[in-house]
Amino acid sequence: MDIQKRIDELETALKKELENVKTMNDLQNVKSKFLGKKAEISGFMKHMKDLPNEEKPAFGKAVNEGKQRLSGLIENKREELRKAAIEEKLRKETVDVTLDAPDYAPGGVHILNRIVEEIEDLFVGMGYKIKEGPEIETDEMNFEKLNLPKDHPARDMQDSLYITKELLLRTHTSPVQVRTMLEYGGKKPVKIICPGKVYRRDDDDATHSHQFLQIEGLVVDKQTTMSDLKGTLLTIARAMFGEKREIRLRPSYFPFTEPSVEVDVTCANCEGIGCGICKQTGYIEILGAGMVNDFVLRQSGYDPDVYQGFAFGVGIERVAMLKYGIEDIRHFYTNDLRFNTQFK
Amino acid sequence: MKVSLSWLQEYVSLEGITPDELASTLTLRSQEIENVYNLVEADTLIIGEVLDVSKHEKADKLSVCRVDTGKDKLQIVCGAPNVAKGQKVVVALPGATLAGGLRIEKTTLRGVESNGMICSLSELGIEYKYHHEDGIHVLADTAPVGEDALEYLSLNDTVVELDLTPNRSDLLSMHGVAYDVAAIYDRKLKLPMPEIITANQDNPFTIETDTEKCPSYYARILDNVTIAPSPRWLQARLIAAGIRPINNVVDITNYVMIETGQPLHAFDLETLTSEKVLVREAKQGETFVTLDEEKRTLEEGDILITDGQKPIALGGVMGGLDTEVSDSTVSLLLESATFDPRQIRRTSSRLDLRSESSIRFERGVDPEKTRYALDRACAFLATYAKASIRNGVRYFDNHKRKKRIIPITLDKVNKVLGSSYSVNEVQNVFDRLDFSYEEKEGRFLVEAPSRRVDIQTYQDLIEEIGRLKDYNELPDTLPSTVSVGALSPYQQFKRKIRSTLSALGLSEAITYALREKERINDLTRENESPVELSKPLSKAHHALVLTPLTGLFDVVAYNKARKQESVHLFEIGKRYRKNEEPERLGIAMHGPYHPRHWQKTPPTDFFTVKGVVEALQKALRLPELDYEKTTIDNYHPHQTAVVKAGDTTLGHIGKVHPEYAEQYDLEDVYLAELAIDKLYSVAEKDATYRTVAKYPHISRDLALVVDADLPAGELLKTVERTLGERLSESRVFDVFTGKTIGEGKKSLAIRLIFEAREETLQSSDVDADIERVVEALKDTHDARLR
Ligand SMILES: [Zn+2]
Repeated sequence: MDIQKRIDELETALKKELENVKTMNDLQNVKSKFLGKKAEISGFMKHMKDLPNEEKPAFGKAVNEGKQRLSGLIENKREELRKAAIEEKLRKETVDVTLDAPDYAPGGVHILNRIVEEIEDLFVGMGYKIKEGPEIETDEMNFEKLNLPKDHPARDMQDSLYITKELLLRTHTSPVQVRTMLEYGGKKPVKIICPGKVYRRDDDDATHSHQFLQIEGLVVDKQTTMSDLKGTLLTIARAMFGEKREIRLRPSYFPFTEPSVEVDVTCANCEGIGCGICKQTGYIEILGAGMVNDFVLRQSGYDPDVYQGFAFGVGIERVAMLKYGIEDIRHFYTNDLRFNTQFK
Repeated sequence: MKVSLSWLQEYVSLEGITPDELASTLTLRSQEIENVYNLVEADTLIIGEVLDVSKHEKADKLSVCRVDTGKDKLQIVCGAPNVAKGQKVVVALPGATLAGGLRIEKTTLRGVESNGMICSLSELGIEYKYHHEDGIHVLADTAPVGEDALEYLSLNDTVVELDLTPNRSDLLSMHGVAYDVAAIYDRKLKLPMPEIITANQDNPFTIETDTEKCPSYYARILDNVTIAPSPRWLQARLIAAGIRPINNVVDITNYVMIETGQPLHAFDLETLTSEKVLVREAKQGETFVTLDEEKRTLEEGDILITDGQKPIALGGVMGGLDTEVSDSTVSLLLESATFDPRQIRRTSSRLDLRSESSIRFERGVDPEKTRYALDRACAFLATYAKASIRNGVRYFDNHKRKKRIIPITLDKVNKVLGSSYSVNEVQNVFDRLDFSYEEKEGRFLVEAPSRRVDIQTYQDLIEEIGRLKDYNELPDTLPSTVSVGALSPYQQFKRKIRSTLSALGLSEAITYALREKERINDLTRENESPVELSKPLSKAHHALVLTPLTGLFDVVAYNKARKQESVHLFEIGKRYRKNEEPERLGIAMHGPYHPRHWQKTPPTDFFTVKGVVEALQKALRLPELDYEKTTIDNYHPHQTAVVKAGDTTLGHIGKVHPEYAEQYDLEDVYLAELAIDKLYSVAEKDATYRTVAKYPHISRDLALVVDADLPAGELLKTVERTLGERLSESRVFDVFTGKTIGEGKKSLAIRLIFEAREETLQSSDVDADIERVVEALKDTHDARLR
């Protein structure tokens, strides 16, 4: 018997049968048939003893190699089947990648508080502390200590909401400045900003709100100047409205500062040329400021012969409206989620 | 203050300065300019004479006029009923533009050609309130045909409107504005000096006061007054200033008031009962009829001008009806006085009676102008009302004319402004302002002029220097104060609340603190009355809220009504009390939380909002929180709990009662309220580090049957108490009721996790622990193993 020829025949037969193998089970059956105990190739070794000695090594080698070849074919097929099975499994896990994900959208800090936080961070970076105080204030703290005695015409500028004769909803956060100066006892420098809710007797409409948010700043030290105020205001204006902004100071009047100024920033919409937003002036009014009136320093325990200071106040709603082109101040307090969620 | 530029030019030259330039300069150096406009926004207006008038054949209300315009005789169709032959009128020729941009063209009106328009004052843009004329404006017979009509009427003027701050009372007069313009432009100022010629007959009046609230009172008597319309230029200037011309006497008092800032009042002499003026304070409840025909009830302190017997004017605020100047008036008592600003403010604001005069008195008038204004008005009355002035001015004047000398040094100026101005520069500012001063080595003694009542301190002087030099020329520097900036730990804590809740998908709201009184204790019953406004802004804004939940609940309803499915909100608000305002965190949740649109979303329930609170507990380093079932009005009786940390009550959490929610078209609203100060007080101030366990933990599960109403938290507390430190975690992972468990019972499956940090935990140790736990649960809760 030509052993080599027979092995080649077996290999051909195996290849043919493997072509029809579809499952691991089929493969197992084929494997038994060709390599199992009862398989033809397993019987070849029995013939070896009948062979002359010199032929035995060649015969043995041929049988072993033949087994290895058949076994190799089967293992290749096994790998092929395994890969196909995995691919099939993954194919069944196909997703439509265009479908919506669950809505894990973050909520958000209210746009007004976000602007407050931005301004706070800016000032903290410049060495300021943040001071808060009560919204129900005394007439003394809200007005009298700020050089606004009863019957003063400037009280018209801040028509207020009274609770009793002596208690009212604060019309600005300036009383927090007074409280802080009193707390500091007239001895050490003051460098603070005071954010918070304030109230005026105003009917709500697109540009007026009886409740609004304000940030006031105060620096008191032995050498605080109006130029320091100007540089500080320029810094805020640029931080809030962009590096290209310029500011303009105009004389104004507040009883608690002297000199007092109103501060305009160049219109970001038209770059100062003039447009509808800035009413063709190229400037938009953003805040009020000035050098602290000696009366206020004295009332708050600071000696005006030694100390001088500046103060400023900015309305947060106005900043937000200018920054985002929001047309109606009432949006801030309606809390329509279609509005609130736009500011992430 | 509306400033007529033609009027202003009488005192200071505006040569080479356009109205817009003037406006922007004043804005930067003096006061904000609200508006710049031409008194009449119309052009190509000619004086014409109506030659004849005939009816339009096809239109009843139209007349066909032939009008002589000097050059041409034009046919013009006119709709005004008062048009008549022989009138001198204002004609707008084709090509003219009238107020509101109306273009006049040659046109055909119902078949008849019309070559222009005969104008009313309203069509020129003069508001009705200034003239009360309905038809076309008829000019005097002497009006020159063919001439420019605006020039003839002195209406070719430009007005600059100042938005005055309350301190600059001086700018409530043309003189004051002229001083400022002269200072800003460094131009010469020329103010007129009144010259009067008096009659032989003496002024017989005596003037007395019983009150200090009228520091000065000057009066003159005028006879032979002819009441007539004022000259056209004077009327035009009053209109420019925003005042309606009435007659020469009234107009002149108003004119001089606008010119000098000193209000005047004219009484009809014949209505006075004696030759005496007595100023006194009103008695409580005294009544007086002012010239607007209103009966005013007065209060103690109001200033009354009397003729010794009856009141004749409410001093500084308004004259009396009985003594008013009328068409038949022939003699006048003319008053020029000053009053206590505070009292004028009190009276006028109480009576809601703000007049041109009260506005000036309450801000303070220049006492040096009182006599001047009286004489200035008398001179005008002599010229334009043919009045004769009796000899002598009667008056008292108790003004203490103490000079206000303000010391200031150049050093201080530069130290406050951060500038480096020289002595000369500062001197130049004072010169331009016409402030007198003495200077020696940079030390100034400046005398504040009486017209500038706002100049009281050196700071006021620095303001004058700053504005005239222009603040915008100061350098930009930052404060040299060195300091450490920081948020306080409490402020950082609040920020962490905001960022945590935002990350969890909640949106921050800011709601009004002022609400309807009835709403304050409607949803949450706070067992205390809210703080209320004494004069509420409106019904909707009357009292201060006691919890942010009041506003948040309404925001949920608002958004639900606008078809927003998922409404998850928070707000940091306050419990407003008169003496304290503790901050409160409100949370409101409604609708799917983190919705999965095409997959199944777990329903939002009590545990959704509890989960948010628990997330805060971890983020804010709070101790473990206890939830004790409770009942709160308007909350679900079985889904509401008090939130505690040890003995400290932090707030509550629960579902809004479905019946309450239904009133707002809502269902399933979950709320939580936590006291931020208390959260802060129980929070760990900083993180504490513990080594991570080296060895794996051992976990054991127990299935227990207990009474159905036993809270799982109680069971776990017993477990924790029994095992103490050995136990690292315990939680319920299954809850089950049913027939197999038995009536009134439930099954709780709990998992206990044991962890040893330093050595391998032996299973046998845990076995002993489990035995102890089972025993304790049996004893305490009658729990048995399933
Ligand atoms: Zn612009």
